[in-house]
Amino acid sequence: MEIENLAEEHKQILDSLMRAIVDIDDEKATTIAEKIIEQEINPSLAIKYSISNAAIGIGEKFDSGEYFLAHLVMAGDLMASVGKILEQNIPIETRERKKVAVIGAVQGDMHTVGKNLVATMLRSGGFEVYDMGVDVPSMAFIEKAKELGADLIALSSLLTTTMPYQKEVIEDLAAMGLRDRFKVMVGGGPVTRSYADKIGADGYGKDAIEALEEAKKICA
Amino acid sequence: MKISLPEILLRSKEGQFMEEKQFDLALFKKTQELQKKYHIKYDPGKPLDTEGDLADRIYQAGVELFTELGTFCVTTNRVINVSEKELFAAIDTCPEEIELGQGNERVKMGHRDVEGDQQVVVVAGIQTAPYSDEAHMFMIYKGCAMDRCVDGIWGGILLKNDGKYDVIAGTPSEIYQYRKTVEILRKAVTAAGRPGLITISNAPTSGATIAMFDEEMGLRRTDYMESTGMSELKVAYDDLNRSAFALAHGVSIHGTHSSTIGGFSGNPEGATITAVAGSLQLIAIHFADSFRCGTVDSRIKARQSRSQLWSAGSAIQALSRNTKLIVDGSIGDHPAAGPGTKQYFYESAAGHIVSTVMGGHSTEGTRKFTVGNTCNYGTPLESRWMGEVCKAAVGMDRKTAEQIVLYLLSKYEDHLMDAPEGETFDGLYDPKRMVPNQHYQTLYDEVKKELKDIGINFID
Repeated sequence: MEIENLAEEHKQILDSLMRAIVDIDDEKATTIAEKIIEQEINPSLAIKYSISNAAIGIGEKFDSGEYFLAHLVMAGDLMASVGKILEQNIPIETRERKKVAVIGAVQGDMHTVGKNLVATMLRSGGFEVYDMGVDVPSMAFIEKAKELGADLIALSSLLTTTMPYQKEVIEDLAAMGLRDRFKVMVGGGPVTRSYADKIGADGYGKDAIEALEEAKKICA
Repeated sequence: MKISLPEILLRSKEGQFMEEKQFDLALFKKTQELQKKYHIKYDPGKPLDTEGDLADRIYQAGVELFTELGTFCVTTNRVINVSEKELFAAIDTCPEEIELGQGNERVKMGHRDVEGDQQVVVVAGIQTAPYSDEAHMFMIYKGCAMDRCVDGIWGGILLKNDGKYDVIAGTPSEIYQYRKTVEILRKAVTAAGRPGLITISNAPTSGATIAMFDEEMGLRRTDYMESTGMSELKVAYDDLNRSAFALAHGVSIHGTHSSTIGGFSGNPEGATITAVAGSLQLIAIHFADSFRCGTVDSRIKARQSRSQLWSAGSAIQALSRNTKLIVDGSIGDHPAAGPGTKQYFYESAAGHIVSTVMGGHSTEGTRKFTVGNTCNYGTPLESRWMGEVCKAAVGMDRKTAEQIVLYLLSKYEDHLMDAPEGETFDGLYDPKRMVPNQHYQTLYDEVKKELKDIGINFID
């Protein structure tokens, strides 16, 4: 079922869920999600419509300066908890699997700001994100991605002397015969699209917003 | 008396366990509470706080944030707490003045007052940037060092080992290359006739940074060791490795911490409170004798936006008014624009004027915010500008500074997101005569005249 075919009353409920998430109103969003289940509105449609559009709205507020990184984290948590309520009422065989991303700052790199931003944007964009933190050895990325069955490995580097580790992850994946199993995206202050192309990355984001768009595109 | 390093390490093992996200959100909540409690409000129409009452409230809020929230150790996922009593004892133990450099180049770097006429120390150079080859590196370092406007030079890194091998952080190549680079730095300042000049460098890892210390051909005890606090209110053991070495080796520690506008501190008001708290962290946990108090913006690749000038300037003022600590401002260190452009000079001037007037030194070099892998991305002329502006701003009052800064902002703030890239050394300098090419010298002279006309009294 598509949103256009929904009864107006139900459509308004989905709109109100979207607004509650954008406003980061935990209590209201939870109540509405429970109401959606009670009224037997298609939970898959609620996820697809309310949560997806809320993610766009939150991204716009961040982009305009109204929201900060903390809001993205809180909104991401709220989307996850609301998504869980809705998802529990979808038969397992028809549940849409979330894309899984493993993210971190590469070995030797202790910079967190950009990496945190991208991790949070990915979460708000519907990815299940495993943030490995900073100074992460190349093999640790690969092992975690294998363990989680990840779709994406996102590598942050803010230093010219840590950029070679982005290349190393890609080379190690190839050496292990795993290159086709994961998409690899790179970013960070000194990293450019041409560098990303040169080392054979699948994607590049010059900022957190572009990173989310790129991640969605390459993982589609 | 300061808490000892072993005690800090013990607290980093036994403090409250926390997920990093919990700490980040607690920081956000606390900074929002504190700005209401202390009536801290940013007015974009006034990029400088010219009164000072606000700065005092910001200081109180910063003390409360640091002592109540603590510092998150990313190595152990524990919170290191320092009580207010311990913090004030640490502040009381800090020197009001240190001496850096040797011989004729020895300078005193002391506490500076807001609008104070105390000497400002300027450590310039293209901070931590990559160089293509030894010849360029030597030539640019030497050119920077020859300029009497600067009291010290920052080092960078040769992009490739032996001209062809990658330099990779955390591997022997990093130690090898940084050690080699600092030798070139030492030779260049000696060739410039200033062998005792302050030389500063900082590698990605503590191992390579420590390896640069060598009284004869490397960094000396009379230079400083940088120990960085992670954004925001965080520390890693690798940072404390630097502090541990410096404490044992008798090197003065210079801390740096930048809070993030748009990050977990939220708005500019929150980032200002965190900038003060981060500075206090550097004193109490990193054992810093002096520190850089700053902010970055999660959306802008520069340090001189209007809100950053207010935020960093207010935090520096808060510390300069309420303590006798040695504060480094360096707000103008990283313009969005590249060298060879008027915008670079406008941005640099705005930041350095605010730093100096609010009581800061400027020891964090000067270069475009984002340099990436572009080699030789700067010339000695930007260092001269940094020195000339900082020294001209000594003793300037805040109201005069505000008028000048408003003028400068009108020149660049609409172009922070699409700033001109500028050019590298080869496009801007005559390498044989080691002078700027005519175009660049003319551009420099024009900007300098323009700023003289609006009230900056350069010391010629």
